[in-house]
Amino acid sequence: MKLENMKAQMRKGVLELCVLSLLEHTEGYPSDIIKQLKTSKLIVVEGTIYPLLNRLKNASLLSYHWKESKTGPPRKYYFITNEGKEILTEMRGTWNQLNHAVIETTKQN
Amino acid sequence: MKKVENINLGTVKFVIDEDAYDALENYLGTIENHFNKSEGCEEIMEDIEIRMAELFGESLHSSTAIISMKHVKHVISIMGTPEDFGANTNTSYTERKSSRKKSYSRQQGKRLFRDEDEAVVAGVCSGLAAYFGVNDPVIVRIIYTIASLFLGLPIIAYIILWIIVPAARNANDRLAMRGKPINIDSISKQVEEELYKINDTLEEIGKSFSSKKKR
Repeated sequence: MKLENMKAQMRKGVLELCVLSLLEHTEGYPSDIIKQLKTSKLIVVEGTIYPLLNRLKNASLLSYHWKESKTGPPRKYYFITNEGKEILTEMRGTWNQLNHAVIETTKQN
Repeated sequence: MKKVENINLGTVKFVIDEDAYDALENYLGTIENHFNKSEGCEEIMEDIEIRMAELFGESLHSSTAIISMKHVKHVISIMGTPEDFGANTNTSYTERKSSRKKSYSRQQGKRLFRDEDEAVVAGVCSGLAAYFGVNDPVIVRIIYTIASLFLGLPIIAYIILWIIVPAARNANDRLAMRGKPINIDSISKQVEEELYKINDTLEEIGKSFSSKKKR
């Protein structure tokens, strides 16, 4: 199980970047965000996303408005804020650096 | 036959089996306990309930369908177990802030119940046996008989216990009777065991019928 934990930790680190990036040009429901993250195998269980969305909202990187749904309860529709867009650009830069650094370091000689 | 509860999950009304209700409440309580330490607990729980309401809506085939244990297990497998959230499931959770109709607490301690499944008269001795961890209720009955013969313990004491000790009515009670932890796994195991017992009883009844026919 420890290996699973290590993998999960790696994914956790990049989740915020990915969530901000998914909402860069469109708004989305948590369930839509979850679907995309599941397709790219970034998350396995849905529960992990809710505290994350809450954190980003508390940090004013995301905001939401309520939308009525005919088929169920009203849902939160999340969108990115201007501050969020700035942070996203920063994070992308960091990710690129990290990406190169890791590739360099883990190169098999 | 089972009792059902009416619940409001993420602003949606559902009807849910008693056992499933216990499991669901335990799940939400454990998670809420976990998030209590971080900011925004109420909002996170709100989001989770809304999503779960959506998922239940999708798994129930009609608006009059009732949420059962299998639905709860299915939705939990999608949302993630408390362990997936990083919650510690061994600690008992404090009662949820939302109102609850039942007044008894959900602590992990043993509670005294009458065990009507293993009863000779009213399950008083079986309940005492379960509470004290004695595997065989017969031993308690023997002790009681000896006590009543030699120490003059009146039958009235038994009757008083019969009245004041509640009967274990559902899986949750039966778990508390034996001091077992109450969480999703133990509740569903308990329900399965009870179904097996019912199955065995029905088989025996069937056999005694067919043997009577042969005579």
